[in-house]
Amino acid sequence: MTIGSMLGDVVKSFFKKPVTEKYPFVRQEAPENLRGKLVWEPEKCTGCMLCVKDCPSNALELIVLDKVNKRFVMKYNLDQCTFCAQCVINCRFSCLNMSEEQWELASTNKEPFEVYYGREEDVKFLLEKASRGEAEGPCKED
Amino acid sequence: MEAKQKSEKFIVPIGPQHPALKEPGHFEFTVDGEIVTNATARLGFVHRGMEKGVEDRNWTQGLYLMERVCGICSHVHAMAYALGVEKLANIQAPPRAQAIRELVAELERIHSHLLWLGVAAHEGGFDTLFMFSWRDRETVMDLLETITGNRVNYSANVLGGVKIDINDAQKDALRRGMDFLEERTKHYLKVVTEDETFLGRTRKIGVMTFEEATLLGAIGPTGRASGVQRDVRVDSPYAGYPDFPVNIVTSDAGDLEARFVVRIKELYESYRLVREIVDHLPGGDLTVKVPRRIPEGEVISRVEAPRGELFYFMKSNGTDKPERIKVRTPSLCNWGSVLTTAIGHKLADMPMILAGIDPCFSCNDRLVMINGKKTETQVWDWEDLRQYGIEYYK
Repeated sequence: MTIGSMLGDVVKSFFKKPVTEKYPFVRQEAPENLRGKLVWEPEKCTGCMLCVKDCPSNALELIVLDKVNKRFVMKYNLDQCTFCAQCVINCRFSCLNMSEEQWELASTNKEPFEVYYGREEDVKFLLEKASRGEAEGPCKED
Repeated sequence: MEAKQKSEKFIVPIGPQHPALKEPGHFEFTVDGEIVTNATARLGFVHRGMEKGVEDRNWTQGLYLMERVCGICSHVHAMAYALGVEKLANIQAPPRAQAIRELVAELERIHSHLLWLGVAAHEGGFDTLFMFSWRDRETVMDLLETITGNRVNYSANVLGGVKIDINDAQKDALRRGMDFLEERTKHYLKVVTEDETFLGRTRKIGVMTFEEATLLGAIGPTGRASGVQRDVRVDSPYAGYPDFPVNIVTSDAGDLEARFVVRIKELYESYRLVREIVDHLPGGDLTVKVPRRIPEGEVISRVEAPRGELFYFMKSNGTDKPERIKVRTPSLCNWGSVLTTAIGHKLADMPMILAGIDPCFSCNDRLVMINGKKTETQVWDWEDLRQYGIEYYK
């Protein structure tokens, strides 16, 4: 039986650096398979919708502008995403990937949470259409 | 002043919001002076309707909802669900996936037990142990983040396997982490069994005998600290446990000290398992294909969560959505032991006795029916339940 059995730990820690990190001044490197913000590359997408179907939080919307010429725009609702990477697993053409660098996602307004991926002209076309109030409804499963 | 009648009862209500525990639960302790003479609990403050919610999602989406039943043991919920779906679909995940499932489950057990060690020490007023054990817990949290990509909801499972693989660099990191934690855990075991001040709060407090534990249906480390030889990992091995078996850890003392000792010795067992899996990880694929429509049927899936046996009942009607999922979490089974062992102890011991079962409130809040007369049986059909729900929330 002893008294003050952790006193040694306490005294030792006086001479050690604090364990806490000075974030945001010092940033720890993120592990290589960290699941951060979702990134979509439109080139290989066939519009199969498997990513949209299995998303547990309805964070993904694939808007089809022209299926024959493979003109798709992906609307990614970052604030709804749970970062589970099920869409990345589902995609058979490796269009989706979760970034290990973009993980500081806090924001004071809503705008950064609505992310549009696709060809620049397609996104522009869609946003202009939306601003005129005649946005094409997102393609959802029945 | 008129002397107080002896028959007068004095009830101390604690909760739903209270300083001892971070989650909401209401307790009423009847006291005679400082000694507790009766204890009751009321749960259900964080009922979230997840079982109903999962019926509206497809099988894959359900996996991620069920993973969020509990914040501490998220992986075991997803694993129980995935194992159940695989059983329904009559397929089996590859050996490598099963081993990785076990690996993540054991890492999760390490993080949960270290978290509990800190919380229980904090309830006993031993904040130094709390701080140090939580500092060391960061090691295993970082390891989990390294191998799965997230610190809390690891999402390591998919239906039919796992989505993560372990490479050599991660294996080395796991070995280093286990060596560091083992050394620290030895120190903590010494502290909780030798520190006189702390032993005053744990030795011979909250004693539950083997007979009581069996009668009250205590499970997990709480039951094992009273000598109940029950562990799903040993009794009916699942995932990778047939290949990497675990040794059951029990104690006969039944007091709070025994619960500390059992949980800390389980940590050693987890370190050993992690090392063994890392050294002998089977090769092969990570997933097998699971159909979108799961064949009709009913299945029971049991796994050993850090707190005890986690039970899933799953029913499929042959579509891509589950018909019914019923979850019974380990904390619910252990409440009886708290309320019984509390009697005869000082009010000041209540936080320690409560924390002794490692309670997790939000994961056990589901519909609870208390049948007053044991001889009566009740059968409620869907209409009755619906009506009960409407009346309850009126």
